[in-house]
Amino acid sequence: MAEESILVIGGGISGLTVALEAAEAGHDVTIVERNPYLGGRVAQLNKYFPKLCPPLCGLEINYRRVKENGRAKFYTMSEVEKVSAKDGGFDVGIKVNPRYINDKCVACDACAQACPAERSDDFNFGMSKTKAAYLPFEQAFPQRYVIDGKACKGDCGKACEAACKYGAVDLAMKPETVNVKAAAIVVATGWNPYEIAKADNLGFGKVKNVINNVMMERIAAPNGPTEGRILRPSDGKEARKVAFVQCAGSRDENHLPYCSYICCMASLKQVTYLKEQYPDSTATVFYIDIRTPGRYEKFYWKVRDMEGVTLTKGKVAKVEQAAGDDVTVTLEDVLSGKKVQETFDMVVLASGMESALREKPLQLGIKYTGEGLIIPGSLVPGIYAVGSAKSPVDVTKSVQEATGAALKAIYSLAAGGRR
Amino acid sequence: MSEKVLSPDLGFVKDVMKSGGESLKKCYQCATCSVVCNVTPEDNPFPRKEMIQAQWGLKDQLFGNPDIWLCHQCSDCTAYCPRGAKPGEVLNAIRKLSIRKYSKPGFLAAMAGDPRFLIFLLAVPIVILLAILGSLGHLSNIPRGENGEIVYARWMPVPFIDMTFGAAAAFAVLVFVFGIVSYWKDLVRNVDTRRINPSNEIGLGLGAAIKDIFAHRKFQNCNETKARGTSHMFVFYAFIGLAITTTWAIFYLYGHEFLGIQKFAIFNFGESPYPLSDPMKWLANISAIALIVGILMVISNRIKNKEKLGGGSYYDWLLILVIAGIALTGLLSELFRLGNMAGVAYPTYFTHLVLIFFLFAYAPFSKMAHMVYRGTAMVFGKITGRA
Repeated sequence: MAEESILVIGGGISGLTVALEAAEAGHDVTIVERNPYLGGRVAQLNKYFPKLCPPLCGLEINYRRVKENGRAKFYTMSEVEKVSAKDGGFDVGIKVNPRYINDKCVACDACAQACPAERSDDFNFGMSKTKAAYLPFEQAFPQRYVIDGKACKGDCGKACEAACKYGAVDLAMKPETVNVKAAAIVVATGWNPYEIAKADNLGFGKVKNVINNVMMERIAAPNGPTEGRILRPSDGKEARKVAFVQCAGSRDENHLPYCSYICCMASLKQVTYLKEQYPDSTATVFYIDIRTPGRYEKFYWKVRDMEGVTLTKGKVAKVEQAAGDDVTVTLEDVLSGKKVQETFDMVVLASGMESALREKPLQLGIKYTGEGLIIPGSLVPGIYAVGSAKSPVDVTKSVQEATGAALKAIYSLAAGGRR
Repeated sequence: MSEKVLSPDLGFVKDVMKSGGESLKKCYQCATCSVVCNVTPEDNPFPRKEMIQAQWGLKDQLFGNPDIWLCHQCSDCTAYCPRGAKPGEVLNAIRKLSIRKYSKPGFLAAMAGDPRFLIFLLAVPIVILLAILGSLGHLSNIPRGENGEIVYARWMPVPFIDMTFGAAAAFAVLVFVFGIVSYWKDLVRNVDTRRINPSNEIGLGLGAAIKDIFAHRKFQNCNETKARGTSHMFVFYAFIGLAITTTWAIFYLYGHEFLGIQKFAIFNFGESPYPLSDPMKWLANISAIALIVGILMVISNRIKNKEKLGGGSYYDWLLILVIAGIALTGLLSELFRLGNMAGVAYPTYFTHLVLIFFLFAYAPFSKMAHMVYRGTAMVFGKITGRA
């Protein structure tokens, strides 16, 4: 264990960037990641906006950098348990949950094939199932299987163990605590999709074929539950007429009072998924204001002018089941002053970003907004926050912030910690 | 593109904000309100357009339109509003200003909406009633019944009450008639005449509106404040019951006095008080209890919903408390009289009379005017297909 290192909480695009920048500058870094893989939300995206390139491409480069550099250590399936300030740094207790698969795993899939139990696939937001012994996704890093202890009961574990030729299944694994001494801490805990079922008028969880925007990413992704074909969940029918409902839970004091920043661009991007796959499809984006800051405006113009794309000013405030599993939305078209009902094959709610810290805030003397976002001014010397732990941001901004935070953390380290 | 000149009235915006619509400027026109509203028509729905008209101070568009009155303040809009702009409360404030516009003289409406003038408004009936009592010498000497029981009619003779209250009611009716006529003119001027369905005349519209009102049909479309339909129904029918009893009592008194009708079966023609066995008393007491139950439900609903849907303004509470006061003092006057508790009976009865005068004389200027202007808007709404 490195005596003086930088601790990064969260191994998503922000945390990975902080860790790599610092590691490649010659410093030891420890990443704590709650998932069994690195990459966070970005790993779940089909394409980045505005360039529309696949995020896994960039993620793979980062994975390789982690492997080649060697100074960035990481703990997956882990969380920070406690932190105390000591001398020139912080003593950090990290709880590492059992993976039940050790580093002898070669990802041969034999355990999964033999595994009798199934689990809901959280990587695909429950739209598919995996075996209880599974690889989170094809390119997952570390390239190691996981056994879901909650799903794999009874003889399940034994079956997996027997199938493994490499002795990689280790059912005796227990949660353990690792202690790390860090000179600086970077909080890069990221976000969860807002639980939009709380908006009882938008139908999520009650009305069939109402999904949220992160589910749409998985549906459109080649490694997703439909292998990239845009099919609606209830009956697998091609979704050729799709509504995008903006501000679903954002800019709403009953839910998230802030603008989630990425949803307009995300929906416009998802419109391109649809148009690319079904050129004759129709997409309607219902908005209060289209918010495409800075140079993103150009992307907005591009999508707005596509054939079959309609942007309608008026917030959808009622979502109901129509015949044949279709979905009817109601809104007031503000520009014409008419209350409108329109029926779609599928409705995508542009649900916002909620800080992952809302559920379980880190202590560290940090102050939060009511929605669990870090108030930067409350951070003590030596602790930095990046990305959507502070405020909803896109990948570009997260990476920029992360690079800056790496420099600050290096400075802190050089100055003897906690500076 | 045709050019349209808008003339914003900033004073009006401030007035709306002062009258209970202080959240007005939070609205960012997302139109959630128009969608969750189950009372609005589909074409040009409310209250989103009212919110921007009010923000821009376009008072003529707001007043000369039935929509502000077709709103029954279910507050579904307020519950779902993402900004806390409380459209329900804002439209309520606009209605108050609309009453001030149409019920002349305007200064009385301004006084009715301002707590600083409450004392003056109350002073009018107090002075009149004290003058009557003083001129009869009843302030120092309270005449009793034959057996020494309390008889309010001996203390404050009914013809005096009828004259005073008849005059107050006549004044109110006159103000209302002028108000309705000028409101109707504005409505007709502002409506697209093609919208008026010629087969649907005023008579038919009136019939349909009355049917809606008696069944409280609009209230049934409310989600957040479902209970309001019930409480309002109690108060509404209690008032109808009490109106019948009042007319009935006039027949008893003057039928006896001028036509010489004597007690007839169970009907006690003659002077009050009437025995509890009289059918008129049954109706009166049932109505009084219904009024108390109804108004208490109104109060409890409002308190329960205060946080989420807005607590209402002085204007709302004045009417609620006056009605509650009338119901309570009415029932207590009767109980104190039957219990022969003269010390509390006369002051209670006096308060009762003051509050009734208040309700009658100021009806066109207080929130009580809602019955007339909403009624008018509903008739107009029926004719134009908006209600």
